[in-house]
Amino acid sequence: MTSPAAGLSAVRVPKWAFAVSLLGLIVTYLVLQENGLALGASSELLHEFFHDGRHALGVPCH
Amino acid sequence: MTTTYKSIALRGVAAGAIAGVASALVQLLVTEIPIRAALAVEEAREPAGDGHGHAHGGEGELVSRGAQVVGGMLGVVVVGIAVGLVFATAYALSKRWFVDRTPFSRSTAFGLAVFGAVALLPWLKYPANPPAVGDPETVNHRTALYLGVVVAGLVIVWGASRLASRLTAQSQPVRVTAVLLAVVAAVAVVLLAFPAPPDTIPADMPVTVLWQFRLSSLAQLATLYVGIGVVFGLLVDPATRRAKADAPVAVG
Repeated sequence: MTSPAAGLSAVRVPKWAFAVSLLGLIVTYLVLQENGLALGASSELLHEFFHDGRHALGVPCH
Repeated sequence: MTTTYKSIALRGVAAGAIAGVASALVQLLVTEIPIRAALAVEEAREPAGDGHGHAHGGEGELVSRGAQVVGGMLGVVVVGIAVGLVFATAYALSKRWFVDRTPFSRSTAFGLAVFGAVALLPWLKYPANPPAVGDPETVNHRTALYLGVVVAGLVIVWGASRLASRLTAQSQPVRVTAVLLAVVAAVAVVLLAFPAPPDTIPADMPVTVLWQFRLSSLAQLATLYVGIGVVFGLLVDPATRRAKADAPVAVG
């Protein structure tokens, strides 16, 4: 066995990985931050459903 | 084998789910206590008639209290998975981050750095608030400030890794001291440069509830972010698989 890090630092990251990561960031935004900027009035339901999680994770809430 | 991006991404998802569940359990058992106390403060306000149409848990609500508790926990798990995916991608891309260490210590250090940048730093500048604190009118302004601090924190982590790799010619004590000084200075600049929290704490919010909530929130954030770093490290480190027989992976 060579150095354990050797195999990992050689990993090639494909282009679609950035799309996947962007999706992750968008999901995080929708769950934690969306207060009407992107979805308008329908964000209210999203906000209320994830309400306790938002407060618990310390993001700004109303 | 953890040699393709896909296998690393799947481990990121698994680490995020596990850390998310742990964080959601902290929420259920710890954070919900001050949240309930804060909601009681808010309810006591209702008869005063200042209904800004955004009360929690009263009659005529979009989402019931029980659904908010479950939804909140679900939200934490979803965020854990999403962050785990981004974390795994950043890990696979990081060619400078402690490359001479084992995958486990790289991942754990990375998790600690992410916790510092996207949780602890914003918590210090704009401390977490329970329900019944915060003016709905200023929420977009507060969100912008909060995200600004998160971005600044990530830039500090990225800059620290760049600085460390620039200083590889120096001895380790010199390098570590220089990077730490730079990080402390950058954090001080961010804390001073961003404006104070726009909202004041209402007089009817007990200080004990406020601080119980803030500390619970910090514990939950640490469980999520440091948890992702530790679990992801366990999942990608070949040493873990060799030692699996005598040390079952415990997460909590």
